[in-house]
Amino acid sequence: MTANIFIHAATDSISDITKGPLSGTMIALQSNISVRNWPTEAGSRALEGFIALEDATVVERLRKAGASIAGNLTMSELGLGLSGNISARAVSEGYADATLSADMMGEARIAAAAHRLIGFKPSYGIMSRFGFIGLIPSMECIGIIAKSPEVITDVLKAATGFDERDFSMSPDIPSFDSSDEIEPSATTIGTITQAHAFLAPAEEEIFKEALEALEDAGFMLKEISLEDFDLFRTVHHIVGSVEASSSGGKYDGVRFGHRAGAAKNWNDMYLKSRAESFGTVVKSFLFQGAYFQFEDYGTFEKACRIRAKLLKTVQTLFDTIDFLVLPQAVRSVPESETTAIDTLYDLCALTLPANVTGHPALCLPSKDGLSLQFIARHLRDGELLSLARYLVR
Amino acid sequence: MQDHRIYCGQLGLADRGQEVCLAGWVDALRDHGEVLFIHLRDRSGIVQVVFSPDSSPLEVCQNARQLRNEFCITISGHVIKRAEGTENPHLETGEIEVVADTLAIYSDADTLPFPISEKAMIAGTSMKKLESVSEDLRLQYRYLDLRRPSMQRNFIKRHQIFKCIRDFLDEQGFIEIETPILTKSTPEGARDYLVPSRLHERRFYALPQSPQLFKQLLMVSGFERYFQLARCFRDEDLRPNRQPEFTQLDIEASFIDEEFIYELLEELTVRMFRVGHIELPRPFPRMTHTEAIDTTGSDRPDLRFGLRFIEATDIFGQTSYGIFKQVLERGGRIKGITIKGQSDRLSKNVLQNEYAKEIVPSFGAKGMTWMRVAGEELESNIVQFFSETEKQAIIERFGAQSGDVIIMIADPSYEVVTSVLGLLRIHLAHRLELIAPGLYCPVWITDFPLFEAADEGITSSHHPFTAPDHINFDPADRDQLLSLRSRAYDLVVNGEELGGGSIRINSKQVQNKIFQALNLTETDIKDKFGFFLHAFDYGIPPHGGLALGMDRVVAMILGTDSIREVIAFPKNRSAFCPLTQAPSGVSRDQLAEIGLLDPGNDKRISGIQKEGDLIDTLSWVSRIALGDDEKKIVAQAVKTAQKMAKNVSAIQMDDDPLFSVMQVSNRMRRVSEAKRHPVAQRGEIFKNAPAVKGDFFKVASILE
Repeated sequence: MTANIFIHAATDSISDITKGPLSGTMIALQSNISVRNWPTEAGSRALEGFIALEDATVVERLRKAGASIAGNLTMSELGLGLSGNISARAVSEGYADATLSADMMGEARIAAAAHRLIGFKPSYGIMSRFGFIGLIPSMECIGIIAKSPEVITDVLKAATGFDERDFSMSPDIPSFDSSDEIEPSATTIGTITQAHAFLAPAEEEIFKEALEALEDAGFMLKEISLEDFDLFRTVHHIVGSVEASSSGGKYDGVRFGHRAGAAKNWNDMYLKSRAESFGTVVKSFLFQGAYFQFEDYGTFEKACRIRAKLLKTVQTLFDTIDFLVLPQAVRSVPESETTAIDTLYDLCALTLPANVTGHPALCLPSKDGLSLQFIARHLRDGELLSLARYLVR
Repeated sequence: MQDHRIYCGQLGLADRGQEVCLAGWVDALRDHGEVLFIHLRDRSGIVQVVFSPDSSPLEVCQNARQLRNEFCITISGHVIKRAEGTENPHLETGEIEVVADTLAIYSDADTLPFPISEKAMIAGTSMKKLESVSEDLRLQYRYLDLRRPSMQRNFIKRHQIFKCIRDFLDEQGFIEIETPILTKSTPEGARDYLVPSRLHERRFYALPQSPQLFKQLLMVSGFERYFQLARCFRDEDLRPNRQPEFTQLDIEASFIDEEFIYELLEELTVRMFRVGHIELPRPFPRMTHTEAIDTTGSDRPDLRFGLRFIEATDIFGQTSYGIFKQVLERGGRIKGITIKGQSDRLSKNVLQNEYAKEIVPSFGAKGMTWMRVAGEELESNIVQFFSETEKQAIIERFGAQSGDVIIMIADPSYEVVTSVLGLLRIHLAHRLELIAPGLYCPVWITDFPLFEAADEGITSSHHPFTAPDHINFDPADRDQLLSLRSRAYDLVVNGEELGGGSIRINSKQVQNKIFQALNLTETDIKDKFGFFLHAFDYGIPPHGGLALGMDRVVAMILGTDSIREVIAFPKNRSAFCPLTQAPSGVSRDQLAEIGLLDPGNDKRISGIQKEGDLIDTLSWVSRIALGDDEKKIVAQAVKTAQKMAKNVSAIQMDDDPLFSVMQVSNRMRRVSEAKRHPVAQRGEIFKNAPAVKGDFFKVASILE
């Protein structure tokens, strides 16, 4: 049964390109990635009936590489929420070899972890987001979920690259052709003391075992204390909500989306259409953003200053280590769309730092319901995938 | 400070060799390496000033290097004739320039929010128009906007028009008397602006919507001829060319009749328009309200073009054409217009697909009948249904000749026929460019209905003090009341009502009959007009008057698009002043002082509580309405946001704010020419739109 997770299942999905690097690879998309003539509602009434007019750049590139696009998936409203980790189910249930899925605060990685798959968030600015319908422009990336690091590498190779239609791209995007082999004895992996606080005692035990296994494999471990670790979450929440409130302004029911009936006038049309377009969680988030935007801009600016400092701190960490590792415990995710914003942030507390700083991050299944999240230097996505390949070997 | 200062704009060839002292603002600069040219602007105009090491002292040239646009400076220098070929025809003073001997900078100027200069420094180059600057930005920096010579001209002309009014009315024996701004609600019918009284708690003054009652009282007082350039206030819904406060020329005179008003106003109007070099022909034509509606569909007809309505109902008395037949069976009417010689521009396609299918239904009629005249024949999709007699009658009645187009509207309702045909008349005149530029067609509209039908009973068309054309009527007979005409008159120019007035009632008995007709109770009358009616007991003279909307008059004389161009500090279209940010909040203390913040009183003044409600404010700025259930959850979320704000407030941060982890830089479009996106070009962008009309996204109307 594909119907319950697909919004649109392609009927003519098999690619004609038989010799491309992704020939024979089936890729599912979240329904916020545009495919021309496909319904692309991003799980939101604000995009009710929206049929994409153009292919997203990643879709264009994947198809060129021979990939077949299997269809697009149901998702939480505008990507805010975990919505049953459907993007990972498409892979674990065999409908696709890989899924492209929004990663605003770790959703793609968390979904992958829940289904014991690999979840990858690339460096900010290497994969074009043209045709991607997002909510938090400065933090979100298109993540990749797959069973093996090799599939992720292939998809990444095909999908990344400069695109002048996306204005937030890195000027130098590395190619991932020559991925170096990992030499454990020359590789230092950092752990963060404060991360342990997020784990239950049993989980912490498993995490410690996983770290010991890394040491046994020859990696050097280094424990680092980050006093400000809690600030990642605060910064993400403040900046994220402001960007959502701002970028959500386009959902006005004029050029596309839902229009409420019987509006008295222009403003009434906006008030009612937008009232009907957003669910309570998204509204809560948008109102928080509006609060900072219109009533307390100083706090938003302060959050952006803290973000600068956090980025600097993480960059400095990478002077002495090659990777960071954080635990990703698999938690039961409430299926309900009415998950409060706070719960969502609780669930994403360990994945969202990579969104705040733009670093590449990868979740790899480890022991007993635990995944390890590795973070690498900016633009060193290749190294991160090499590490994953080494570890799954 | 400046003994010999003269105005820039006064200089000319005759001043060659003169030593002059000038002061003003730097309108524009042109730097030629060692030589610097500036345009110096004052109220009178612009003159070019030259700073050249050959002729000006070195330190003056050096000092001039720091000049930028809109620095306020003074210079002295001598006037020379410009070198052959360097004259600037854009400037009145373009044949000369002033070589600077001294320069003093009074004050410098920041970078401007928009350009002020309107004069090119070099012959043949044109200046960018200000049209691209948003009006709110202009209003926010109104003091700079008003520096622009075109704006200065507007206000100088406005002053001259006002002076012309005062001079003329003074000649005619009128005296100017001021009436109060803090007053009592009067019967104009619009919403009042209210001013709370501090001394009389919970009582309010109203700002005057017009000095109507006061000017009539001045007639009772025996001043006989009064006028005032009065500021009036109406808290009405937004309309494009309306302001919450406006200036009205208010006139009232005793022992006069309509002819006196026509004579007086025609002469005054002619003189006012002359300030704008516009000659109006006298006498102004007059048209009854009935005739105006019957031939133009409007009570403020634009007479700059023809297209008068032609009655056609009788032609089709025996018709077999179904639609007309049905309309006539239901007591309807058929009227039409002839558009001479336009059949080339009004093709079948335009008439049928644009006018009949789109435009006319949007005006409120079900359909439109059209015929093109080719040779002796009528061409149309329905002409086959007409008999020969009918076709002949049409050709004769409409004076049809080859190349003409005839259109007709048939509807059971006379109002629909006239109003739709009236809108069509204007639409066609603009589309076919039938309006000659520079043409002004004043007209008096007279004999208005005294009453209008309302949902319950009737209401006054103007106000209840307007005299009826006769006084023997039964205040209980609705049909008779609706047939009464008033002694009111409007002055209309080019389809715009510039003002109006009436001869007033000067008999207590008649006034009471009018009140009875309006179904007002004794108490109502006493409450609203008691003070005024009391004056009727003490010898009231026959009197009448008129008021002209001066902002509109000035805008029309100067040909500006909007009345905001002739008001120094107007509000914007949302009745907000971007310059002063009015209306603004007030402190609780102020509210308490005027008794509007009484904690012991449950009846809180609406609006105050709302302003204090953060969630309502956020709901409004985000344009997201909230249901009651959601409101609680969202309020909780906003509380969380406030908590986060409190948490970060203690953190000291020196780092610059980071808005993107990528180095963000400006990127220009690579193609040199602006191009429509193919998706827009193919019209595909409309595929996802909830509502489309033609080539536009359709939205709810901006106004209610």
